[in-house]
Amino acid sequence: MTRRLLMLLTIGASALLQQLLPAWPLFGGVKPPLLAALALYYALRRDSRDMWLAVVTAALLQDGLDLGVFGPALLAFPMIGILAHRIRNEVFADGLVTQLVFGAAIGVFTTFIAILIHSASGQRPFHFGMASVRLLSSLWLGMAVLPLVSLSINKLEASLPQRRGYGWQ
Amino acid sequence: MYAVAAVLLLAVVFVPLPSLTLKGKGAVRGVMAPAERGFSSVWKRLADAGAAIRGMGGAAEKNRDLSLELVRVQAELSQLCDAEADNERLRRAFEFSRQKSYTMIPCNVVSRNISGWWSTVRLGKGTRDGIEENRPVISPDGLVGKVAEATPLTAEVLLVSDPACRVSAKISRSNTFGLVRGAGANLKGLPMARMEFIDKDKEVRVGDEVVTSGLSSAGGGFPKGVHIGYVDKVHRDDSGLYQYAEIIPRATVGLLDYVFVVAAHGPEGVK
Repeated sequence: MTRRLLMLLTIGASALLQQLLPAWPLFGGVKPPLLAALALYYALRRDSRDMWLAVVTAALLQDGLDLGVFGPALLAFPMIGILAHRIRNEVFADGLVTQLVFGAAIGVFTTFIAILIHSASGQRPFHFGMASVRLLSSLWLGMAVLPLVSLSINKLEASLPQRRGYGWQ
Repeated sequence: MYAVAAVLLLAVVFVPLPSLTLKGKGAVRGVMAPAERGFSSVWKRLADAGAAIRGMGGAAEKNRDLSLELVRVQAELSQLCDAEADNERLRRAFEFSRQKSYTMIPCNVVSRNISGWWSTVRLGKGTRDGIEENRPVISPDGLVGKVAEATPLTAEVLLVSDPACRVSAKISRSNTFGLVRGAGANLKGLPMARMEFIDKDKEVRVGDEVVTSGLSSAGGGFPKGVHIGYVDKVHRDDSGLYQYAEIIPRATVGLLDYVFVVAAHGPEGVK
Protein backbone atom coordinates (compact mmCIF):
# COMPACT_ATOMS: atom_id res chain seq x y z
CA MET A 1 0.00 0.00 0.00
CA THR A 2 2.80 2.39 0.96
CA ARG A 3 4.65 1.66 -2.27
CA ARG A 4 1.50 2.10 -4.32
CA LEU A 5 0.84 5.43 -2.62
CA LEU A 6 4.45 6.43 -3.17
CA MET A 7 4.09 5.46 -6.83
CA LEU A 8 1.05 7.72 -7.26
CA LEU A 9 2.71 10.58 -5.41
CA THR A 10 5.81 10.21 -7.56
CA ILE A 11 3.71 10.33 -10.72
CA GLY A 12 1.89 13.45 -9.46
CA ALA A 13 5.16 15.17 -8.56
CA SER A 14 6.60 14.27 -11.96
CA ALA A 15 3.62 15.87 -13.68
CA LEU A 16 4.31 19.10 -11.77
CA LEU A 17 8.00 18.92 -12.62
CA GLN A 18 7.38 18.18 -16.29
CA GLN A 19 5.21 21.30 -16.56
CA LEU A 20 7.97 23.37 -15.05
CA LEU A 21 10.74 22.09 -17.33
CA PRO A 22 11.54 24.28 -20.33
CA ALA A 23 10.50 23.30 -23.85
CA TRP A 24 13.72 23.85 -25.80
CA PRO A 25 13.13 25.24 -29.29
CA LEU A 26 16.15 23.24 -30.51
CA PHE A 27 14.21 20.06 -29.67
CA GLY A 28 11.11 21.26 -31.51
CA GLY A 29 9.50 22.34 -28.23
CA VAL A 30 9.31 18.77 -26.90
CA LYS A 31 9.61 18.47 -23.13
CA PRO A 32 11.52 15.69 -21.34
CA PRO A 33 9.01 12.80 -21.04
CA LEU A 34 9.11 12.27 -17.27
CA LEU A 35 5.61 10.80 -17.02
CA ALA A 36 6.21 8.41 -19.91
CA ALA A 37 9.47 7.27 -18.32
CA LEU A 38 7.74 6.66 -14.98
CA ALA A 39 4.95 4.67 -16.60
CA LEU A 40 7.57 2.52 -18.30
CA TYR A 41 9.61 2.15 -15.11
CA TYR A 42 6.64 0.71 -13.23
CA ALA A 43 5.56 -1.45 -16.19
CA LEU A 44 8.99 -3.11 -16.18
CA ARG A 45 9.10 -3.74 -12.44
CA ARG A 46 5.66 -4.11 -10.92
CA ASP A 47 2.74 -6.54 -11.16
CA SER A 48 -0.08 -6.18 -13.64
CA ARG A 49 -2.38 -4.18 -11.34
CA ASP A 50 0.31 -1.65 -10.47
CA MET A 51 1.32 -1.42 -14.11
CA TRP A 52 -2.21 -0.46 -15.15
CA LEU A 53 -2.54 1.96 -12.24
CA ALA A 54 0.73 3.70 -13.13
CA VAL A 55 0.13 3.75 -16.87
CA VAL A 56 -3.45 5.05 -16.69
CA THR A 57 -2.66 7.63 -13.99
CA ALA A 58 0.33 8.97 -15.92
CA ALA A 59 -1.64 9.06 -19.18
CA LEU A 60 -4.63 10.79 -17.58
CA LEU A 61 -2.37 13.41 -16.03
CA GLN A 62 -0.45 14.01 -19.26
CA ASP A 63 -3.58 14.37 -21.40
CA GLY A 64 -5.73 15.98 -18.72
CA LEU A 65 -3.24 18.76 -18.06
CA ASP A 66 -2.64 19.34 -21.77
CA LEU A 67 -4.78 21.30 -24.19
CA GLY A 68 -6.91 19.48 -26.77
CA VAL A 69 -8.43 16.03 -26.80
CA PHE A 70 -7.61 13.09 -24.56
CA GLY A 71 -5.55 10.74 -26.66
CA PRO A 72 -1.82 10.95 -27.27
CA ALA A 73 -0.73 9.61 -23.89
CA LEU A 74 -3.87 7.57 -23.30
CA LEU A 75 -3.09 5.54 -26.42
CA ALA A 76 0.71 5.47 -26.30
CA PHE A 77 1.40 4.76 -22.61
CA PRO A 78 -0.77 1.60 -22.30
CA MET A 79 0.60 0.15 -25.56
CA ILE A 80 4.23 0.53 -24.50
CA GLY A 81 3.31 -0.43 -20.93
CA ILE A 82 1.69 -3.70 -22.00
CA LEU A 83 4.63 -4.55 -24.26
CA ALA A 84 7.18 -3.80 -21.54
CA HIS A 85 5.17 -5.73 -18.95
CA ARG A 86 4.96 -8.81 -21.18
CA ILE A 87 8.68 -9.02 -21.81
CA ARG A 88 9.87 -7.82 -18.41
CA ASN A 89 11.11 -11.30 -17.45
CA GLU A 90 13.23 -11.54 -20.58
CA VAL A 91 15.07 -8.26 -20.21
CA PHE A 92 17.30 -6.83 -17.50
CA ALA A 93 15.19 -3.88 -16.37
CA ASP A 94 18.11 -2.04 -14.76
CA GLY A 95 20.43 -2.56 -17.73
CA LEU A 96 21.49 0.59 -19.52
CA VAL A 97 20.83 -0.85 -22.99
CA THR A 98 17.28 -1.88 -22.01
CA GLN A 99 16.57 1.57 -20.66
CA LEU A 100 18.02 3.34 -23.68
CA VAL A 101 15.96 1.20 -26.07
CA PHE A 102 12.71 1.49 -24.10
CA GLY A 103 13.27 5.19 -23.40
CA ALA A 104 13.73 5.87 -27.10
CA ALA A 105 10.71 3.72 -27.95
CA ILE A 106 8.30 5.44 -25.60
CA GLY A 107 9.57 8.90 -26.58
CA VAL A 108 9.16 8.27 -30.30
CA PHE A 109 5.90 6.37 -29.98
CA THR A 110 4.21 9.02 -27.80
CA THR A 111 5.27 11.78 -30.19
CA PHE A 112 4.20 9.74 -33.23
CA ILE A 113 0.71 9.19 -31.77
CA ALA A 114 0.50 12.89 -30.83
CA ILE A 115 1.43 13.93 -34.37
CA LEU A 116 -1.22 11.56 -35.79
CA ILE A 117 -3.99 12.76 -33.45
CA HIS A 118 -3.17 16.45 -33.75
CA SER A 119 -2.97 16.25 -37.54
CA ALA A 120 -6.12 14.13 -37.90
CA SER A 121 -8.15 16.39 -35.62
CA GLY A 122 -6.89 19.52 -37.35
CA GLN A 123 -5.46 20.98 -34.15
CA ARG A 124 -1.97 21.24 -35.65
CA PRO A 125 -1.20 21.17 -39.39
CA PHE A 126 1.24 18.41 -40.37
CA HIS A 127 4.69 19.75 -41.19
CA PHE A 128 7.21 17.11 -42.23
CA GLY A 129 10.30 19.01 -41.06
CA MET A 130 8.88 19.85 -37.64
CA ALA A 131 7.50 16.31 -37.21
CA SER A 132 10.96 14.86 -37.96
CA VAL A 133 12.66 17.21 -35.49
CA ARG A 134 10.12 16.31 -32.82
CA LEU A 135 10.47 12.57 -33.39
CA LEU A 136 14.26 12.76 -33.28
CA SER A 137 14.17 14.96 -30.17
CA SER A 138 11.77 12.59 -28.44
CA LEU A 139 14.14 9.72 -29.19
CA TRP A 140 17.08 11.52 -27.56
CA LEU A 141 15.08 12.87 -24.65
CA GLY A 142 13.51 9.46 -23.96
CA MET A 143 16.96 7.84 -23.96
CA ALA A 144 18.27 10.48 -21.58
CA VAL A 145 15.32 10.57 -19.20
CA LEU A 146 14.51 6.89 -18.55
CA PRO A 147 17.92 5.96 -17.03
CA LEU A 148 17.80 9.06 -14.81
CA VAL A 149 14.25 8.33 -13.67
CA SER A 150 15.09 4.66 -13.03
CA LEU A 151 18.14 5.58 -10.96
CA SER A 152 16.18 8.11 -8.89
CA ILE A 153 13.20 5.84 -8.21
CA ASN A 154 15.48 2.87 -7.42
CA LYS A 155 17.26 5.00 -4.80
CA LEU A 156 13.95 6.27 -3.43
CA GLU A 157 12.51 2.76 -3.14
CA ALA A 158 15.72 1.39 -1.65
CA SER A 159 15.38 3.89 1.17
CA LEU A 160 12.00 2.38 2.13
CA PRO A 161 11.74 -0.62 4.46
CA GLN A 162 11.92 -3.89 2.50
CA ARG A 163 8.81 -6.01 2.12
CA ARG A 164 8.66 -9.64 1.07
CA GLY A 165 6.41 -11.16 -1.53
CA TYR A 166 5.42 -7.94 -3.16
CA GLY A 167 4.10 -8.50 -6.69
CA TRP A 168 6.33 -10.40 -9.07
CA GLN A 169 9.45 -9.36 -7.17
CA MET B 1 -9.49 -7.68 -20.98
CA TYR B 2 -7.01 -5.99 -23.30
CA ALA B 3 -9.65 -5.85 -26.04
CA VAL B 4 -12.16 -4.14 -23.73
CA ALA B 5 -9.50 -1.69 -22.55
CA ALA B 6 -8.50 -0.96 -26.15
CA VAL B 7 -12.11 -0.34 -27.21
CA LEU B 8 -12.66 1.98 -24.24
CA LEU B 9 -9.48 3.90 -24.99
CA LEU B 10 -10.34 4.29 -28.68
CA ALA B 11 -13.82 5.49 -27.74
CA VAL B 12 -12.40 8.09 -25.36
CA VAL B 13 -9.94 9.33 -27.98
CA PHE B 14 -12.02 9.32 -31.13
CA VAL B 15 -15.63 9.88 -30.05
CA PRO B 16 -16.04 13.67 -30.13
CA LEU B 17 -17.71 14.62 -26.84
CA PRO B 18 -16.31 18.06 -25.99
CA SER B 19 -18.37 18.55 -22.82
CA LEU B 20 -17.35 15.14 -21.47
CA THR B 21 -13.71 15.79 -22.38
CA LEU B 22 -13.84 19.11 -20.55
CA LYS B 23 -15.41 17.44 -17.51
CA GLY B 24 -12.63 14.86 -17.50
CA LYS B 25 -9.99 17.54 -17.81
CA GLY B 26 -11.74 19.56 -15.10
CA ALA B 27 -11.51 16.58 -12.75
CA VAL B 28 -7.81 16.03 -13.45
CA ARG B 29 -6.97 19.73 -13.17
CA GLY B 30 -9.12 20.08 -10.05
CA VAL B 31 -7.14 17.32 -8.34
CA MET B 32 -3.84 18.87 -9.38
CA ALA B 33 -4.79 22.53 -8.77
CA PRO B 34 -3.86 22.77 -5.05
CA ALA B 35 -0.51 21.04 -5.69
CA GLU B 36 0.16 23.31 -8.67
CA ARG B 37 -0.55 26.41 -6.59
CA GLY B 38 1.75 25.24 -3.81
CA PHE B 39 4.48 24.19 -6.23
CA SER B 40 4.20 27.45 -8.16
CA SER B 41 4.45 29.48 -4.95
CA VAL B 42 7.53 27.57 -3.77
CA TRP B 43 9.14 27.87 -7.22
CA LYS B 44 8.59 31.65 -7.30
CA ARG B 45 10.18 32.01 -3.88
CA LEU B 46 13.16 29.93 -4.99
CA ALA B 47 13.48 32.01 -8.16
CA ASP B 48 13.37 35.23 -6.11
CA ALA B 49 16.00 33.89 -3.73
CA GLY B 50 18.17 32.86 -6.70
CA ALA B 51 17.85 36.33 -8.19
CA ALA B 52 18.85 37.89 -4.88
CA ILE B 53 21.89 35.61 -4.59
CA ARG B 54 23.04 36.50 -8.10
CA GLY B 55 23.58 39.97 -6.66
CA MET B 56 25.26 43.01 -8.11
CA GLY B 57 26.18 41.56 -11.51
CA GLY B 58 22.53 41.12 -12.36
CA ALA B 59 21.66 44.51 -10.90
CA ALA B 60 24.20 46.30 -13.11
CA GLU B 61 22.82 44.56 -16.18
CA LYS B 62 19.27 45.42 -15.14
CA ASN B 63 20.29 49.05 -14.58
CA ARG B 64 21.72 49.27 -18.10
CA ASP B 65 18.54 47.77 -19.58
CA LEU B 66 16.36 50.13 -17.59
CA SER B 67 18.40 53.16 -18.72
CA LEU B 68 17.83 52.17 -22.35
CA GLU B 69 14.16 51.57 -21.66
CA LEU B 70 13.90 55.00 -20.01
CA VAL B 71 15.23 56.76 -23.12
CA ARG B 72 12.72 54.92 -25.30
CA VAL B 73 9.82 55.57 -22.94
CA GLN B 74 10.65 59.29 -22.71
CA ALA B 75 10.57 59.55 -26.50
CA GLU B 76 7.26 57.73 -26.62
CA LEU B 77 5.86 59.85 -23.79
CA SER B 78 6.50 63.10 -25.62
CA GLN B 79 4.61 61.73 -28.63
CA LEU B 80 1.81 60.40 -26.47
CA CYS B 81 1.35 63.75 -24.71
CA ASP B 82 0.64 65.39 -28.07
CA ALA B 83 -1.70 62.56 -29.04
CA GLU B 84 -3.52 62.74 -25.70
CA ALA B 85 -4.04 66.49 -26.08
CA ASP B 86 -5.47 65.98 -29.57
CA ASN B 87 -7.61 63.13 -28.30
CA GLU B 88 -9.08 65.18 -25.45
CA ARG B 89 -9.86 68.07 -27.74
CA LEU B 90 -11.62 65.81 -30.25
CA ARG B 91 -13.56 63.97 -27.55
CA ARG B 92 -14.88 67.19 -26.11
CA ALA B 93 -15.69 68.49 -29.56
CA PHE B 94 -17.74 65.46 -30.54
CA GLU B 95 -19.09 64.85 -27.05
CA PHE B 96 -17.97 61.25 -27.01
CA SER B 97 -18.39 59.49 -23.74
CA ARG B 98 -15.34 57.86 -22.22
CA GLN B 99 -14.81 54.29 -23.22
CA LYS B 100 -16.45 51.92 -20.80
CA SER B 101 -13.85 50.31 -18.55
CA TYR B 102 -13.34 46.59 -18.70
CA THR B 103 -14.11 44.28 -15.84
CA MET B 104 -10.87 42.44 -15.25
CA ILE B 105 -10.22 39.37 -13.10
CA PRO B 106 -6.69 39.19 -11.70
CA CYS B 107 -5.26 35.65 -11.88
CA ASN B 108 -1.97 34.06 -10.98
CA VAL B 109 -0.21 31.73 -13.39
CA VAL B 110 0.20 28.33 -11.74
CA SER B 111 1.85 26.29 -14.46
CA ARG B 112 2.86 25.94 -18.08
CA ASN B 113 2.09 23.39 -20.78
CA ILE B 114 3.01 19.81 -19.93
CA SER B 115 3.84 18.39 -23.36
CA GLY B 116 5.41 21.31 -25.22
CA TRP B 117 2.90 20.88 -28.05
CA TRP B 118 1.04 24.06 -27.13
CA SER B 119 2.06 27.51 -25.97
CA THR B 120 -0.21 27.72 -22.97
CA VAL B 121 -0.22 28.71 -19.32
CA ARG B 122 -2.70 27.62 -16.65
CA LEU B 123 -4.38 30.13 -14.36
CA GLY B 124 -5.38 29.45 -10.78
CA LYS B 125 -8.98 30.61 -11.36
CA GLY B 126 -11.77 29.13 -13.43
CA THR B 127 -15.49 29.28 -14.15
CA ARG B 128 -16.27 29.60 -10.42
CA ASP B 129 -14.54 32.98 -10.53
CA GLY B 130 -16.39 34.10 -13.65
CA ILE B 131 -13.84 33.12 -16.28
CA GLU B 132 -15.30 31.89 -19.56
CA GLU B 133 -13.81 30.41 -22.70
CA ASN B 134 -12.54 32.74 -25.43
CA ARG B 135 -12.14 35.69 -23.06
CA PRO B 136 -9.06 37.83 -23.75
CA VAL B 137 -6.15 37.70 -21.31
CA ILE B 138 -3.94 40.75 -20.85
CA SER B 139 -1.07 41.85 -18.64
CA PRO B 140 0.58 45.23 -18.02
CA ASP B 141 2.92 44.36 -20.92
CA GLY B 142 0.06 43.83 -23.36
CA LEU B 143 -1.96 41.01 -24.87
CA VAL B 144 -1.19 37.57 -23.47
CA GLY B 145 -3.74 35.41 -25.32
CA LYS B 146 -7.20 34.03 -24.80
CA VAL B 147 -8.87 31.47 -22.53
CA ALA B 148 -8.96 28.21 -24.48
CA GLU B 149 -10.45 25.91 -21.84
CA ALA B 150 -12.11 26.86 -18.57
CA THR B 151 -12.78 24.35 -15.79
CA PRO B 152 -14.26 25.18 -12.36
CA LEU B 153 -10.88 25.76 -10.69
CA THR B 154 -8.48 26.51 -13.54
CA ALA B 155 -8.33 28.13 -16.97
CA GLU B 156 -5.99 27.23 -19.82
CA VAL B 157 -4.74 30.28 -21.72
CA LEU B 158 -3.61 29.92 -25.32
CA LEU B 159 -0.75 32.40 -25.71
CA VAL B 160 -0.64 34.81 -28.63
CA SER B 161 2.56 33.06 -29.78
CA ASP B 162 0.72 29.76 -30.38
CA PRO B 163 -0.06 29.04 -34.05
CA ALA B 164 -3.69 28.31 -33.11
CA CYS B 165 -4.18 31.85 -31.72
CA ARG B 166 -5.35 34.51 -34.17
CA VAL B 167 -6.05 38.14 -33.36
CA SER B 168 -7.28 40.95 -35.56
CA ALA B 169 -4.68 43.72 -35.24
CA LYS B 170 -3.50 47.00 -36.63
CA ILE B 171 -0.31 48.99 -36.82
CA SER B 172 -1.03 51.97 -34.61
CA ARG B 173 1.19 54.45 -36.50
CA SER B 174 -0.42 53.96 -39.89
CA ASN B 175 -3.76 52.44 -38.90
CA THR B 176 -3.00 49.47 -41.16
CA PHE B 177 -5.03 46.34 -40.43
CA GLY B 178 -3.93 42.71 -40.48
CA LEU B 179 -4.18 39.39 -38.68
CA VAL B 180 -1.70 38.36 -36.00
CA ARG B 181 -1.04 34.62 -35.82
CA GLY B 182 1.33 32.88 -33.41
CA ALA B 183 4.56 31.47 -34.85
CA GLY B 184 5.93 29.46 -31.91
CA ALA B 185 9.38 30.33 -30.60
CA ASN B 186 12.67 31.09 -32.30
CA LEU B 187 15.91 29.26 -31.51
CA LYS B 188 16.64 31.68 -28.66
CA GLY B 189 13.34 30.68 -27.08
CA LEU B 190 11.68 34.04 -27.72
CA PRO B 191 7.99 33.76 -28.58
CA MET B 192 7.19 34.93 -32.09
CA ALA B 193 4.08 35.99 -33.97
CA ARG B 194 3.38 37.08 -37.50
CA MET B 195 1.10 39.84 -38.72
CA GLU B 196 -0.38 38.71 -42.03
CA PHE B 197 -2.65 40.12 -44.71
CA ILE B 198 -1.15 43.60 -44.54
CA ASP B 199 -1.93 45.64 -47.64
CA LYS B 200 1.33 45.62 -49.59
CA ASP B 201 0.90 49.26 -50.60
CA LYS B 202 1.02 50.35 -46.95
CA GLU B 203 4.37 51.20 -45.43
CA VAL B 204 5.41 49.07 -42.46
CA ARG B 205 8.55 49.95 -40.53
CA VAL B 206 10.66 47.93 -38.11
CA GLY B 207 9.72 49.13 -34.62
CA ASP B 208 6.10 49.94 -35.45
CA GLU B 209 3.74 49.14 -32.60
CA VAL B 210 1.08 46.49 -33.25
CA VAL B 211 -2.15 46.69 -31.23
CA THR B 212 -5.47 44.86 -31.25
CA SER B 213 -7.99 46.31 -33.69
CA GLY B 214 -11.07 45.29 -31.70
CA LEU B 215 -12.53 43.59 -34.78
CA SER B 216 -12.06 39.94 -33.70
CA SER B 217 -15.32 38.09 -34.05
CA ALA B 218 -14.51 34.89 -32.14
CA GLY B 219 -16.10 34.57 -28.70
CA GLY B 220 -15.91 37.75 -26.66
CA GLY B 221 -13.45 39.43 -29.04
CA PHE B 222 -10.36 41.33 -27.97
CA PRO B 223 -10.53 44.84 -26.53
CA LYS B 224 -9.37 47.59 -28.84
CA GLY B 225 -5.91 49.12 -28.64
CA VAL B 226 -4.17 46.52 -26.47
CA HIS B 227 -0.44 46.36 -27.17
CA ILE B 228 0.67 43.12 -28.86
CA GLY B 229 4.28 43.84 -29.80
CA TYR B 230 6.67 45.68 -32.09
CA VAL B 231 7.49 44.85 -35.70
CA ASP B 232 10.79 42.98 -35.86
CA LYS B 233 11.07 42.21 -39.60
CA VAL B 234 9.03 43.05 -42.67
CA HIS B 235 8.64 40.61 -45.58
CA ARG B 236 7.44 41.93 -48.92
CA ASP B 237 6.45 39.74 -51.83
CA ASP B 238 6.21 41.72 -55.05
CA SER B 239 4.13 39.07 -56.75
CA GLY B 240 1.60 38.75 -53.90
CA LEU B 241 -1.27 40.90 -52.70
CA TYR B 242 -0.06 41.21 -49.15
CA GLN B 243 3.04 41.67 -47.06
CA TYR B 244 3.68 40.24 -43.60
CA ALA B 245 5.64 41.32 -40.56
CA GLU B 246 7.29 39.32 -37.79
CA ILE B 247 6.56 40.62 -34.33
CA ILE B 248 7.70 39.73 -30.84
CA PRO B 249 4.69 39.50 -28.49
CA ARG B 250 6.27 41.12 -25.47
CA ALA B 251 3.71 40.04 -22.87
CA THR B 252 4.48 36.35 -23.39
CA VAL B 253 8.26 36.67 -22.92
CA GLY B 254 9.46 34.93 -19.76
CA LEU B 255 7.37 33.27 -17.09
CA LEU B 256 4.23 35.25 -16.38
CA ASP B 257 3.27 35.76 -12.76
CA TYR B 258 0.00 37.62 -12.86
CA VAL B 259 -2.40 38.29 -15.72
CA PHE B 260 -5.89 39.71 -16.08
CA VAL B 261 -8.82 38.03 -17.78
CA VAL B 262 -11.19 40.51 -19.40
CA ALA B 263 -14.49 39.30 -17.98
CA ALA B 264 -16.95 41.59 -19.71
CA HIS B 265 -16.89 44.80 -21.64
CA GLY B 266 -19.36 47.00 -23.42
CA PRO B 267 -19.35 47.93 -27.08
CA GLU B 268 -16.50 50.30 -27.75
CA GLY B 269 -16.92 53.71 -29.19
CA VAL B 270 -20.68 53.60 -28.64
CA LYS B 271 -22.27 55.95 -26.25
